[in-house]
Parts: sequence; structure tokens; C-alpha cells
Amino acid sequence: MFDFETLAQSVISGDVRKAEELTKKAVSEGVSPLDVINKGLIAGMEVVGQRFKKGDMFVPEVLIAARAMNAGLDVVRPLIADTDLKGMGTVVIGTVKGDLHDIGKNLVGMMMESAGFKVINLGVDVSPERFVEAVKEHDAQIVGMSALLTTTMLVMRDVISALKESGLRDKVKVMIGGAPVTSDFAKEIGADGYAPDAVSATDLAKGFVA
Amino acid sequence: MRSNYTVNASTHLRVLSDSQLEEIHYAVLEVLERTGVDVYHDGALDLLKKAGAYVSGNNVRIPSAMVEAALKSSPSRVTLCTRDKRRTVLLEGYNFHFGTGSDCPFIIDLYTGQRRKFTKKDVAEGMKLCDALPNIDFVMSMGLISDIAPPVSDRHQFEAMLLNTTKPIVFTAHNRAGCEDILAMSAAVAGGIEEVVKDPFICLYAEPISPLKHMYEAVDKLIWAGENRIPVVYTPCIMSGATAPATLAGAMVSATAETLAGLCIHQIVGEGAPFIMGGVYGIMDMHTTIFTYGSPEFMLMQSAVSELAHFYRKPVFSTAGCSDSKVLDEQAAIEAALSILLAAQSGGNLIHDVGYLESGIVSSFDMLVMCDEIIGMVKRIVRGIEVDDETLAVDVIHKVGPGGHFLAEEHTMRHFRSQTWFPSVINRQRYEEWVNSGSLTLRERVTSKAKAILAEHVPKEVSGKAVDEVQRIIRSAEDREL
Repeated sequence: MFDFETLAQSVISGDVRKAEELTKKAVSEGVSPLDVINKGLIAGMEVVGQRFKKGDMFVPEVLIAARAMNAGLDVVRPLIADTDLKGMGTVVIGTVKGDLHDIGKNLVGMMMESAGFKVINLGVDVSPERFVEAVKEHDAQIVGMSALLTTTMLVMRDVISALKESGLRDKVKVMIGGAPVTSDFAKEIGADGYAPDAVSATDLAKGFVA
Repeated sequence: MRSNYTVNASTHLRVLSDSQLEEIHYAVLEVLERTGVDVYHDGALDLLKKAGAYVSGNNVRIPSAMVEAALKSSPSRVTLCTRDKRRTVLLEGYNFHFGTGSDCPFIIDLYTGQRRKFTKKDVAEGMKLCDALPNIDFVMSMGLISDIAPPVSDRHQFEAMLLNTTKPIVFTAHNRAGCEDILAMSAAVAGGIEEVVKDPFICLYAEPISPLKHMYEAVDKLIWAGENRIPVVYTPCIMSGATAPATLAGAMVSATAETLAGLCIHQIVGEGAPFIMGGVYGIMDMHTTIFTYGSPEFMLMQSAVSELAHFYRKPVFSTAGCSDSKVLDEQAAIEAALSILLAAQSGGNLIHDVGYLESGIVSSFDMLVMCDEIIGMVKRIVRGIEVDDETLAVDVIHKVGPGGHFLAEEHTMRHFRSQTWFPSVINRQRYEEWVNSGSLTLRERVTSKAKAILAEHVPKEVSGKAVDEVQRIIRSAEDREL
């Protein structure tokens, strides 16, 4: 019987090498890849999520745990059909044009990745056109925009217009964030949601694809 | 006669030793020479290259000698004046001055207690409050105004400051055009640009993006300030653990490298022009991911960056009187009091953000009034205990003798006022008295003090002619930008 507990523990402690090794061991012992994911890797990540919410674990530990989980996932992913490994969905994120701040947006991206989303991070100073191209190219379900400045947050409206013009607005959910951004502003510009931090952004995104 | 006598004319605090400061300095130089910074401004890249930096794309590696030359050419002191040309804020050595912060999107309404967006009227009222508060020496806007179109909101914000206080103004602007308009508005009041440069009552605020990135607008503002010789604060806002290393020493190295890269650009265009190094050195809270304004690590680094500035003999922009609490409560009071004490003790010359709540998202008039009181207390503490023949009071002790009292002694009359700090909103009443006067809490007392000031205080006016000119400049900006 494979020791799923130890594999989960390697995720919890963020031990990338061990998570990868144990996943390989499980595969060589003939354990079902889906069991490796659900009983080992995801199970570990769920513990991390609970501990984080309780305040026993902190952001860097969550990110390193997600890295360990992903190291394991990379080993088993080729072994299973796409239909069996249904991801959470694809999110395109970026800081809008004129704004070079990116720590908040990067945190959102990393948190979403650790929740199982595929995240296409367009970086900073992203034009409306690039958001549109990325949605098309990656067949994304969610667009996440960030801005730290009141002058640049107005660009979010342009991105939504660009999505409308290219006929993509109804295919994606749009979520926004950043220090000056509010839920009122989200309503005003016709975004689907606003989140004040990375954890609630991830919850919001989960709600969109549920 | 005596020898080897030493005096503590104030209280002392040192977080870092001279050797440690020197070590940080060398690490900063190494980062600038090895990693360099990214600069998103073609003009600045050309200037840096010509001055001897290694430019590759947007990356600029700066040789130590270039940094040291910039440190040498910039002044060790900067004086900020009032609108009516009194030279009140001397940024030098361990002098400390407190002022508000800038550009919070929200305010806690003094009358309703509701958290809402800042308006132009709020900025005007905030400035009126600052104008009256005795321990606020300079102002920043407190809020980002929401009831004016964003492209020209900086001009309106400045107008609200200019007309409602005489205290020195540290301003933010959207870009070079905003800076130019604000200088023109200042010149209208002072009687010409040269008057503003000679007795500057305005100081520009600009910031890099951590880690080690200098975006176009920030660099352009530095260049504008250097060319026009208007004082500029260049202040990294780092989050240790996220946009800077998790170790406090490493965070200081990374942030200071950003500052000194800014100084190099500034001194190339304006050799000897006034530059104030910054400081908003904080940590990311690893649970909520906020930038904390009340953590002990934040306070320690604020002291350390002031010490580093003293080591460089440069004026410094520090931070205190702010909190992560959502409202004025016990947490806000703890964080404000500790940070104000530490910032003053370290001689942070221009200590801003007094009155911030919610980690810099909210400005509160209540909080500002409470902090003004705390600053008063702190000033008394920092003054220390004076020891000489007169204060040792051996004669009066002998005169009163065992069992007497000192209340009506001439010695007491001579000294008690200057020895003592007298509170304004701190309450020392006996219980019955306190009940009879309404059982008011500190929060209620600061609120009513703020309301009373707003009802009564009249700031010194700007001449009608100057007001007309200021408004003409704003209208012309609106015609161009909207």
C-alpha cells in the first residue's frame, strides 16, 4: 500500500524534490495517477489551505507547497487523459496599461495556480488588445486585471470595451483588483467581480467556474 | 572647572552601529554595481550612460564612484518654508518634523463615521486642520480626490492645499505637466518661480517601483525637480518578504539601492539640487498580504533608514503616526504612539503619514488629532532631563527642608511650565469630574477637537489676484487635458 500520507506531507512542507520523488515512486509501484493526485498531492494542498485560513501557515509557505504539488503533477500529468484531469480553468491576468506595479497581481496569479487554475500572466503595462489576444489564444474563462493608480484603473473600462468589440465579453468573467479599486467601481465599469486580496480573488474565480 | 563631563541634551536611540551602517552602504554599492536597476526612461538612460554607468537595454549598472559622486554633490540639508516664507522646516541632522500622508482613496467622515471616498472639500478641510494643529509642521494631501476628473485631480488637490494652509507642502503630481502647473500655481502665490526656489514651500514626492524599477513618470519627475531645483523626495515603498528580501537588512539594501539610483539620475541633471532620501520601509504581512503600517519591523526599519541617512548626511523622509487598524481604536493608538516615538528618536527629518489608518488606504481627521497629541508627548520625552546647578535645585531643597512643599516656591514658578507638557485631549480628571463632564472617551474628545478647529480656524488667505491666477492655471490644464 502506497503511503499517501508521506506524499501529502511533502506537499505541506513544500519539499519539491521529495514530492517529485514520491510521485515517481507511486507511479512505478503502479498506483493510479488519479489517486496520486487526489489522495496525495491535492490532499496535502487542502491541509495547507486550511492551515493558512487558520493563520498557522503563511503566504510563502503556501506558495512553496503549491510548487511541490505542481512538481508532482508534472510527473503524473502525461499519464492521464485530458478529460480525466479537468483543471479549474484558464485565467488571463495582467496589470493594465500605464501601470508597472505587479506584486499584488503576481500574488493573485500564484494563489490561483495553487488552487489548480492555469494562469497566463501577461505582466505589467498590458494593453487592452493584448488582453483580447491572450483570451483568444488561451481560450480563457476568466480575465483578471490589476491597477494601483487611480489614473490607470480607468483603463480597465477600455479592456472591457475591447472584449465586447471582439465578441468575447460573454465568454469570459472579468474580475478586478488593486488598492484604489472597489466593488462599486467593478459594477460601474461592468466587471463581474472585485476581490480585495489574493485569497478572495481565488475564491471568486472558483465561483465563476463552479 | 571640570573635565570629561558629558551631557545628554536629549534621549538617545540607535538601532544600527556605525559599522553596521557602513556594511549596509557597501552592500548597496555592490547591488548597484552588480545587479543594477531598470530605468524606463530613454533620456535618463542616455544621461546615465554618458555619466559612466553600464547600460544594457533598460538595465543600468552603476559604478560605486558614480554613486559616491552623487552623494557628494547633493546637499546635506534642505530647508522647507511656509507659504509666507518663514524658514520653519530645517531638514538636517536629527531634526524631526511631522506631517500628513498623501493620496488615500478613502476618508472616515468626521461627522458620520462612515468610510467613503475623498472629495476636494475633504482635502481643504484636512489642510485647515493641519494648519491649526501645533505639532504638524508640513502637509501632504491626505486624500486622493474622487470628485474631480483624474487627469487634473493633482492640480485641484494642490489648490486645496495651497489655499488652506501656510505650512510647507509635499505634493504629488501625475506627470511633468502636473509638476509644471503646480510650480506655476506656487509662483503665482510667491511672486515668481525664483521666489519658490529660494524659499521653497513645495516639495515633490516621487517613488520607484520595488524591486529596483524606475518607471518613466517617476524618473521624469526626478529630472524635472533636478532641472528646476525644486526639492524632491524619492522614496521606495518596499514590502520586505515580497518586493524586497525577508531579512530587514537585505530589505534596506534593496530599497536604498533604489533611492541612490534615483539620486544619481537627479544629480546628473541638477548637480547640487535638493534631494531628500526616503523611506517607507515595511514588510508584507504574510497572512493578509497587506503592506503593514504598524508592525514593529516597519518601525525598526524607519529608524534604521533615518540612521542610514544621517550616515550619508542626507535629509530623510520617514513614516509614523499610522496604523493597520480600520478605525481609530486601541490598536491605532498603540501603533501610532510607538511609531511616532521611534521616528522622532531617530531624527527622521520629514516624518509623514500621520493620520493614516487601514495601512494607508484611509486618512482620518480623528487619528490626525490624536497623533498631534502623541507628538506633543513625544517631543517632551525626547527633550530629556536637563541637569545643571539650577535644575539640581539643591538650594530650594534646603530652603523647603524636610516636610515642606514646593508648590509655591519661586523655583517652581520659574520652571514648572517649561519642564512639563500640558495635554489637550489626554484626560487626567478624577473619576467624578470625568463623569460630570460627560464621561467622554479619547475618541470622542479628538472628534470634538477636530470639529471645533474646523468650525473656528481661519487659515491665512492667499491674495485675490493670486487665487485668480491659480484658478486660471487649473482651467487651462482642464482645457488641455480633458
